[in-house]
Amino acid sequence: MRIFLFLFIVSMLSAMISPAYAHHVLGRPSYSLNEDSNTPPSMQIETRIGNYFVTYMVYPAFPKPGEPGRINLYALSIKDNKPFNGKITFEISDDSWFSSATETIGAQVIDDNVYRQGFVVKNKGDYIITARFTADNEPYVIDFPLRVGVPSQFTLPVIIIGAILLVLIIVSLLQRKRLQQQRIRDSHSNTTVK
Amino acid sequence: MIMTHPGLAEWALFTVYFAVMTIGTWFLWQPHGKQKTQTNNRVIGSFVQQPWLLFISRVLFAVLFLLIIYAGLFGTPIAERNIATVLTWNLWWAGLIFSIFFLGSAWCAVCPWDALAGWLVRRRLFKRSKVNNSLNLSVPKWLRSVWPALLFFIGLTWLELGLGVTLDPYNTALISLLMVLLATVSLSIFKRKAFCQYLCPVGRTVGFYAQLSATALRPVDPDLCADCQTLECYHGSDDIEPCPTGLVMGTLAQNTYCTSCGNCTQSCPESNVSWSLRSPSIEAISSARPHWDEAWFMLILLALTAFHGLTMLSFWEDGMNALASYINDSGQLLLSFSSGLIGIIVLIAVIYSALIKIIALLSGKPFKELFTTFAFINLPLAFAYHMAHNLNHLIREGRGLAEIFSNPLGTDALPLSMMEKHERQMTMWFSQDLLAALQAILMIFGFWVAVQVIRHRSVSLNITSRSEFLPMLFYALIITGFNLWMLTQDMIMRM
Repeated sequence: MRIFLFLFIVSMLSAMISPAYAHHVLGRPSYSLNEDSNTPPSMQIETRIGNYFVTYMVYPAFPKPGEPGRINLYALSIKDNKPFNGKITFEISDDSWFSSATETIGAQVIDDNVYRQGFVVKNKGDYIITARFTADNEPYVIDFPLRVGVPSQFTLPVIIIGAILLVLIIVSLLQRKRLQQQRIRDSHSNTTVK
Repeated sequence: MIMTHPGLAEWALFTVYFAVMTIGTWFLWQPHGKQKTQTNNRVIGSFVQQPWLLFISRVLFAVLFLLIIYAGLFGTPIAERNIATVLTWNLWWAGLIFSIFFLGSAWCAVCPWDALAGWLVRRRLFKRSKVNNSLNLSVPKWLRSVWPALLFFIGLTWLELGLGVTLDPYNTALISLLMVLLATVSLSIFKRKAFCQYLCPVGRTVGFYAQLSATALRPVDPDLCADCQTLECYHGSDDIEPCPTGLVMGTLAQNTYCTSCGNCTQSCPESNVSWSLRSPSIEAISSARPHWDEAWFMLILLALTAFHGLTMLSFWEDGMNALASYINDSGQLLLSFSSGLIGIIVLIAVIYSALIKIIALLSGKPFKELFTTFAFINLPLAFAYHMAHNLNHLIREGRGLAEIFSNPLGTDALPLSMMEKHERQMTMWFSQDLLAALQAILMIFGFWVAVQVIRHRSVSLNITSRSEFLPMLFYALIITGFNLWMLTQDMIMRM
C-alpha cells in the first residue's frame, strides 16, 4: 500500500514539473534584446489622470546602474481616443527618505504616437520619473516608479522584526515580575499559615 | 498584453442549468428534509495523528515561509519569477480552498504564522512548556467575535486586488511578517490562541468553509466524551497544550473554530478523538449553530468571492474607468476600486436582507433569527464558486514550479515573455474539458447543498408553507446564476 502511495506522490510531483522553455521573443533569443529593441522585456504601468490614459513602459524592466534604459510613454485622450501630441518633460528624483534631488532628463515630442526618453542612472536605488505636460491649459504631472539595480529595502522589515523582539522582551520582563510577585505572595501566605 | 482564460464551455453551462432546474423542481416537490444527525466513521488511521508527522510538517512549512520572506525582501521584483509571489498567491492562496474540502482546517495545524509565533512565545518546539512568555490575559469581550477577522479579510481582499500585492514580492513578504507579528503579539498577551480564533482572516475563512469539509476531528465514541470528567481536550495534559480555541470535543458540533492542531487527539487518555469522514453538508444543514457575527461573515464571504470573480473579468476595467470619470478619481483608481468593493458587499447584503424580510413578513418569525439561520445558504454558494474560480487559476498559473524552485529569488530572470505566457496558457495541468466538467460539478454541488440548507433549516424554524421559504430558493438561484455567468466569461490571467 505504501509503495502505491509513494508512487502516487512521485507521479503527482512530476506532473507539476514543467519542461524548460527557451526564452525567445518573436523568434529572437532574449540575449540579443536591448533597450532599443521593438519588444524587449519591459515593466508597464497604466494610470489615468484628468482626461488622459497614460501608459508608461521601462526598458529593460529593471535597468542596472550605468547601463542605458528607455522610457516609453503613451498618453491617450479619454474624450476622443486621440494621442496627446504636445511636448512632455521627463524628470528623475531619488525616492529614498530625506532626499529631494531632482534632475530633468529631457523634453520629448511625439514620435509615432510614443514619447521616448532614454536615461542612464549611475547609482542603484528607487527613483521617481515625473512626466509633465500641459493639455487644455491644464498642467499634468504624473509620477512613475523606476528601480535601478537591487536597492536595499530594510527599513520596514527591520521595524517589524524589531517590534516582534520588543514584544517578546517586554512580555518576558512583565512575566518575570509577575512570577517574582507570585513567589513573594506564596512565601508570605506560607509564613502566615505557620 | 493581457492574457485571458476562456470561460465555461456551453455544454457545461447547459448541464449546470439543467441540474439546477431539476434540483429546484425537486425541492418544490419535497420541500422539507428529514432530521439528520452527525454520524462518524473512523476511517482515517492513526498515521495522521502522529505528533512527529505534524511537527515535521510545521517545520517544513515554516522553512518555506521563511524562504518566501527572504525571496520577497531580497529577490527579484518580477512577480512571476519570485517564489514569494508564485508560492503565496498562485499556489497556496489558490490551492488552499481545495485542501479545505478534503482535509478541513488542516492548514491551520501547519500554519507558519502560528508555528513561528508559538515557538517564539512558548520557547518550545513541541510539547507543553511549563514556563512561557505569555501573559495569559483573557480576551476582552469586544474582541470575542469574528468581526475583527472579517475586517481583516476585507482589508486583505483590498490589498490583494486593489493595491495589487499579488504582483509585489516585497509587499507579500511584508504582509507575511506582519501576520507573524500579529500572531506573536496576540499569543504573548492573551490566553490560548486569540489570533487564530478572532483575528486571522485566513483561519476564519478556512473554519467556515471547513463546515463543508468531508473530514473532521470528532469523538470516536460520543458516549465516552459524555461521561468524561477531566476534559483533557479542553485543559490539555502535562505534555500537551490545551485546545487553542477552547473547544470541548464532546460538544463539538461545527468545524468553524477547530484548528486541527491535534492537541485533543494526543491528550485524550482514551484515544477517543480521530479524523472522521462525514457528509460534507451536515454542519451547514443542521449541526452548526447560527450567530449574528458569523452570519455576516458568511454573507460577506459570498460577496467577496463574487467581487473576486468580477475584478478578473475584462469589462471590470471599463466599469472602473467609467466610475473614475464620474467621481473624478485618478492614478491607481483606488477610490473607484474601494467603491466597487463596498458596493458589491452592500448589494448582496441588501438582496439577502430584503428576501429575509419578506420571509419574516410572511412567517411572522423574527428577522434576526431568520437572518442568522438561513445565512448558512451562503457558505456552499461561496465555496462552490470559489473552488471553480480558483481551479481556473491553479491549472494555468500554477505551472512552472520547478523553474521557480530552481531559482527562487529570480536572480537575473526577465519578465515572462509573450511566448512564455502563451505556453502557460496552452500547457495546463489538465484539459479544458475536464476543467469545465469539474467546474460544472462544483456549481451543482453548491446549489444542491444550498437547497438542502433551505429544506432542513426551514424545518428547524418551523416554516411549513412553501411560499414562506421560496425567497431563499430565489436567492440561491440568482447567486448560482450570477456565479455561473461569471464563469462563462473570459477571465484575465493574474500573471
